Amino acid sequence: MEAVVFRPRPSQAMVLDYTEGKMGVSAVPGSGKTWTLSALAAKLVAQGHLVDEQEVLIVTLVNSAVSNFATRVGRFMQDRGLLPGVGYRVRTLHGLAHDIVRERPGLVGLSDQFSILDERLAQEILRDAAQTWLRSHPAALDAYLALDLDERQAARVRTARWPDLVVRMATALVKQAKDLQITPPGLQYLLDGFPDALPLLEMGCAIYVDYQRALAYRGAVDFDDLIRLALQALRLDPAFLGRLRRRWPYILEDEAQDSSRLQELILSELVGPEGNWVRVGDPNQAIYETFTTASPKYLRDFLERPDVLSLDLPNSGRSMQSVIDLANGLVTWTTTSHPVPALRRALGEPYILPAPEGDPQPNPEDDPDQIDFVAQSFSPQAEIEAVVRSAASWLSVHPEHTVAVLVPRNDRGFAVGSALKAADVPYVELLRSTPATRNAAGALGNLLNYLAAPTSARKLAVTYRVWRRDDRADEAKRKELTGIAKILLRCPRVEDFIWPRAGRDWLRDLQSEPFWSPTLGEHLSEFRTLVRRWQGTTALPIDQIVLTLAQDLFHEPADLAIAHKLALVLRQATSTHPEWRLPELTEELAVVARNERKFLGFADADTALDPEAYRGQIVVTTMHKAKGLEWDKVYLMSVTDYDFPSALPQDQFIGEPWFVRDELNLEAEIVGQLKALDQNPDLFDYDEGFATLGARRDYAAERLRLFYVGITRAKRALAVTWNTGRLGVAQPSVPFIALRTWWEEEAT
Amino acid sequence: MNGITLSPQQLAVAQASLSCRLFLEGVAGTGKTTAGVARMHYLLKSEIPADRLLVLTPQRTLAQPYYDALRSPDTPGGGVVTVTTIGGLARRMIDLFWPLVAEEVGFQRPADRPVFLTLETAQYYMARIVTPLIEEEGYFDATTIDRNRLYSQILDNLNKAAVVGFPPGEIGERLKGAWMGDLVQARIYDQAQACALRFRRYCLAHNLLDFSLQIAVFAEHLWEEPLCRDHLTETYTHLIFDNVEEDTPVAHDIVYSWLGTVESGLVIFDHGAGYRSFLGADPVSGHMLQDLCDEQRIFVESFVMSGSVTALGAAFDRVLRPSVPDGETAPPIGDAAPLAPAPTADSVTGNNGIRATLHFGNRRFHHQMLDWVVAEIQALVRDKDAFPGDIVVLAPFLTDSLRFSLAHRLHRVGIPVRSHRPSRALRDEPATQTLLTLAALAHPEWEILPSRYDVTDALRHAIHELDLVRAQLLAQIVYRPHRGQPELTPFDEIQPDMQQRITFVFGGRYEALRTWLAAYRTRQAAPLDHFLSRLFGEVLSQPGFGFHRDVDCGLVAAMLVESVQKFRWISADLADNRRPLGREYLEMVRQGVIAAQYLAPWQEEEQDAVLLAPAYTFLLSNRPVAYQFWLDVGGLGWWERLYQPLTHPFVLSRRWPTGKVWTDADEHALRQRGLQRLVLGLVRRCRVRVYLGLSDYSEQGFEQEGPLLGAVQQILRRFQSERGGV
Repeated sequence: MEAVVFRPRPSQAMVLDYTEGKMGVSAVPGSGKTWTLSALAAKLVAQGHLVDEQEVLIVTLVNSAVSNFATRVGRFMQDRGLLPGVGYRVRTLHGLAHDIVRERPGLVGLSDQFSILDERLAQEILRDAAQTWLRSHPAALDAYLALDLDERQAARVRTARWPDLVVRMATALVKQAKDLQITPPGLQYLLDGFPDALPLLEMGCAIYVDYQRALAYRGAVDFDDLIRLALQALRLDPAFLGRLRRRWPYILEDEAQDSSRLQELILSELVGPEGNWVRVGDPNQAIYETFTTASPKYLRDFLERPDVLSLDLPNSGRSMQSVIDLANGLVTWTTTSHPVPALRRALGEPYILPAPEGDPQPNPEDDPDQIDFVAQSFSPQAEIEAVVRSAASWLSVHPEHTVAVLVPRNDRGFAVGSALKAADVPYVELLRSTPATRNAAGALGNLLNYLAAPTSARKLAVTYRVWRRDDRADEAKRKELTGIAKILLRCPRVEDFIWPRAGRDWLRDLQSEPFWSPTLGEHLSEFRTLVRRWQGTTALPIDQIVLTLAQDLFHEPADLAIAHKLALVLRQATSTHPEWRLPELTEELAVVARNERKFLGFADADTALDPEAYRGQIVVTTMHKAKGLEWDKVYLMSVTDYDFPSALPQDQFIGEPWFVRDELNLEAEIVGQLKALDQNPDLFDYDEGFATLGARRDYAAERLRLFYVGITRAKRALAVTWNTGRLGVAQPSVPFIALRTWWEEEAT
Repeated sequence: MNGITLSPQQLAVAQASLSCRLFLEGVAGTGKTTAGVARMHYLLKSEIPADRLLVLTPQRTLAQPYYDALRSPDTPGGGVVTVTTIGGLARRMIDLFWPLVAEEVGFQRPADRPVFLTLETAQYYMARIVTPLIEEEGYFDATTIDRNRLYSQILDNLNKAAVVGFPPGEIGERLKGAWMGDLVQARIYDQAQACALRFRRYCLAHNLLDFSLQIAVFAEHLWEEPLCRDHLTETYTHLIFDNVEEDTPVAHDIVYSWLGTVESGLVIFDHGAGYRSFLGADPVSGHMLQDLCDEQRIFVESFVMSGSVTALGAAFDRVLRPSVPDGETAPPIGDAAPLAPAPTADSVTGNNGIRATLHFGNRRFHHQMLDWVVAEIQALVRDKDAFPGDIVVLAPFLTDSLRFSLAHRLHRVGIPVRSHRPSRALRDEPATQTLLTLAALAHPEWEILPSRYDVTDALRHAIHELDLVRAQLLAQIVYRPHRGQPELTPFDEIQPDMQQRITFVFGGRYEALRTWLAAYRTRQAAPLDHFLSRLFGEVLSQPGFGFHRDVDCGLVAAMLVESVQKFRWISADLADNRRPLGREYLEMVRQGVIAAQYLAPWQEEEQDAVLLAPAYTFLLSNRPVAYQFWLDVGGLGWWERLYQPLTHPFVLSRRWPTGKVWTDADEHALRQRGLQRLVLGLVRRCRVRVYLGLSDYSEQGFEQEGPLLGAVQQILRRFQSERGGV
């Protein structure tokens, strides 16, 4: 483990001077906020103000950050000669909510064995509820059809398009209702008391009722319930709240720019009026707002409160000066010149300052030539090819450096991955799930696939490849395993190999073949023993099958942990679908393996990615996932007016499908109706189209910040490209053009 | 007695006067039950007729030492000692004196025999009563709980009313009175109340007696009936009542009024226990039996703990003892009296003792912790010659995957292992699945079409040595559902090439099975239990079939038959059954309403094997061991009580005043007390060493920092600072 060298900069030292009260910190990208916050946590524990059972509570955004924080605070504690793991607790909001609810489940109507439904199962239940509703109300949403559709088109939309849109609307509604603490009966009550018909909301309410009932039937809650119920528990029992306040006298919150309303409410309750609360974040990096209830306004408002000490961490040693200038340039352009005035608060101060003189982490040497805004108009495929060529070439010149290709959407990332693979360029892909999760799920999926169809020689051969997959790295072994897999593929009757009977033994017959060797015999014999054991597991419940296979397949702790998690996910699937057997469960696993399902894995097996571990390879990921990471060279792709719209009239928005009239964003509209009804049913401050406009602006603001995040990932080199889109009509995004123009003017 | 040398104190209890009523108390491991068993021996040797002797325990497993002693050759013969529970006694008396009380209780068919419901049949009826209310009237919308747990909690409320002794109509008011949360939420208590009363009315209308009604009828009617009471008091003149702290107030009331009439009595009370409080156990009312006894004896010397384990127990006691005395949530008695170590114990005490006794392994992932546990067990067995049977692995909850993961690892290194959970679902057994799939194939009128995968599985288990590959080939070819009905093709109608692949040996066995099923289909359908018995006896247990000489399969088949039989008996005469009962049973099993739970016959398992068990189950087995492994020490499970939204063991207890709100302080104090009791209970059942298994992430992937971990850290910190101070 590396020695901890943490010499705080003056701005960091000011943060570390904190002892009590409320403090807010705006930290620019690369300013070392995690280090600073970890050091602060360790200091507070070491000060000795905590008695037994008291802890500093650190709340952060994602699992990978939990692990990161815990490790760093632990090191600081050890440096101070203290026991690591004592006196502090690091949690995501979901982890914290789980802790709270687990302590008093009965308070919020849960049994002690409540389960938390996996995202996919929750979506499946919602989809079922939506489909049930649509079947009984096929024409209920006709009033929202685009006016220029003929009857044939309308009929097609009803069957082919509405189902997905209804699910998306219901998802948005359920999420928002839970955020506003509105239960299904509560919503029904509001609707019953409202004089006019609200078809969108009535639809949403019916699905919400069904969905929540289906969860209750299973004794399960979804992730949003967990948060909602945690707040409810704190509010219901002041004594419980008081006990938790005593337990956590200090609360440190990281990534506070992505705080949601409920997160703020939960933490406010836990802090109390006199409590100690430190919130650190960068409002310029708030990129989790769309389809969530998060907003940077909570942090901004907090920073402006009179009882809050507001500080900045403006220095960053991450990037060369030109990258810093670009990022600051984007802030200036946004705040002064964005064509939509409502978006001028999307970014703001503090500006990034380089590390001060003599800093142990100085900025890389500046080289303005390494900034490249590629003006050329590419087709989507041509853009990928150009980036792949450039990245491969850059990598060959700088093999010791780190490179990332950052895309705005997963599907674009998959296309880049395919192109890199075709070009034989080494790369690693971090999109919906990590390679580790996919590999583990894939390996297990292949084995289960064989067990579901044990007569198949083809699947048996795949199983053999899976078993010896580690040998693929060695050329000689790879040849050998490919050869043996081919032999297995030709096995005419699998039963004569795995379970020979008198006079019918394929392995023995093989001895007369010219390619026979004792090594081959040993390999196949060993494999046969294993396959017999695996076949013996099929009478077990699915989780036990997976665990048994995993013991034979995996050796790395992280792989085994993933296998365990997969086992539990499949077990949960069987409780939802008691009729499912191995073939259906194998398909479920294949979904994870095919990268179609966001899989909530373990901390360091999932979202955490260490760019340094992939020197000499190209990392392909989304700009969202890149947050908190840095590479020597960064490619930002698809910076078009489609992926980065600016809320201008000509912009197209993903949430506004062609078959809905008046370019309405129905997800936004249903949420708008809910908010208006909840706020004041008598006034009902809702005008059709306003919510759509608001959603456009929110989305455009978030995409601006995403662009900012993308730029600030680069240490020494940055290339930004765009393409003309699927229909050939996309343009470079407005901020792209503005920044490129500004950059060129600066250069001249 | 079995070569055990009794201490003078134990001897004094065993050989006390034959007309003496003794109250014996002490913490676990001080030899109280041994003294109780010796007393039973002494009474028998003193020519007290065995059938005058009644041994009561709160549950069957706690009576095991008495059963063992009665089976031993040096126990005097002649007559049978009655070893039972109050529930067992209630059932026997109802059976005997039914005509006396049936009408008075309100049964609407007093001339017919009573039907005793098992847990699963009671649950089945509850499901029938509650499901329409949920689906049509929106009952229990405000709570999140799976259906089967919901049914069992309503039953549990009725049980609480019966064992605590209050009218079942008060359940809702009591629960609501203690509720401090959302008022909407409180509505569920009214709904639970309505369901309970509906169920009770249904039972009275159909002569059905669930556990609550059995207890209520016995305690409120039969025990008050001179004929019944005289029968009992005259039959049993010598009474031993062990583990009274784990029994219920109504049981205590009955024994309280009984003790005055017996010639001799021994009441045994375990300090610091009361682990069955979620089932209505009440140590306070149990301790009151002392008033009826002539003498009180207290055992303070542990026969189990070494000096170092005693030091560990004291350290845990220091950090876990609640700082403020709890009010009414837990009885003020039963705290550990200062405890002396075993006379043969080592002399290591204090911090050195803790260091010698407490071992821990901290790993990042859960499965790594399991690897550590197995490695340590291996070292104990191989290097220190420890007996596997002297090792127990404990977790707050023993999930299936945890049990399997550990058992699998231990098997791999050749260490015998046995696992005990309170119950296990029959439907999880492959033998059950096989029998039920074959039942569906034999009854096309049920319109249940098993999947091809299930048929493959059934053939594989039904036919001896049939492997998975051939089983699937066979199922693919012969299983042809036709017009929505399951059909099996004869073996001789399939292609010769395929016959060869499957082999004629297996083909012949398949054909025997198929012919049997086909012949059955031509006759009038028999009740499902008859069908299963015949299928087992005529086919599956025969040579060439999968259950032949397989004791476990035989056991499973027998229990399944029994479960179906009970189901048939209780539902046979109900007019509203439109579907065939067999189909109804399969449907109920599929939904999990009938889990066909059975008590694993663990006394028949290999004894010299590492035991995997939930911590409370181990405590209630009352068996000390040399080495204990505690898993998931960071988990909240050690601190949590069984939490059920529709019921509340403490609010529904005798000591909770109606209307008093259950606060967070009550909850917290209860949990702290629970943790303290659990930990001390475990330590007192440990002779040599406690191993703590820690992992950063739980089995589900959550971070773990529960109060037990906090307590361990406090002990270690104190230890470190004291060592530093020296």
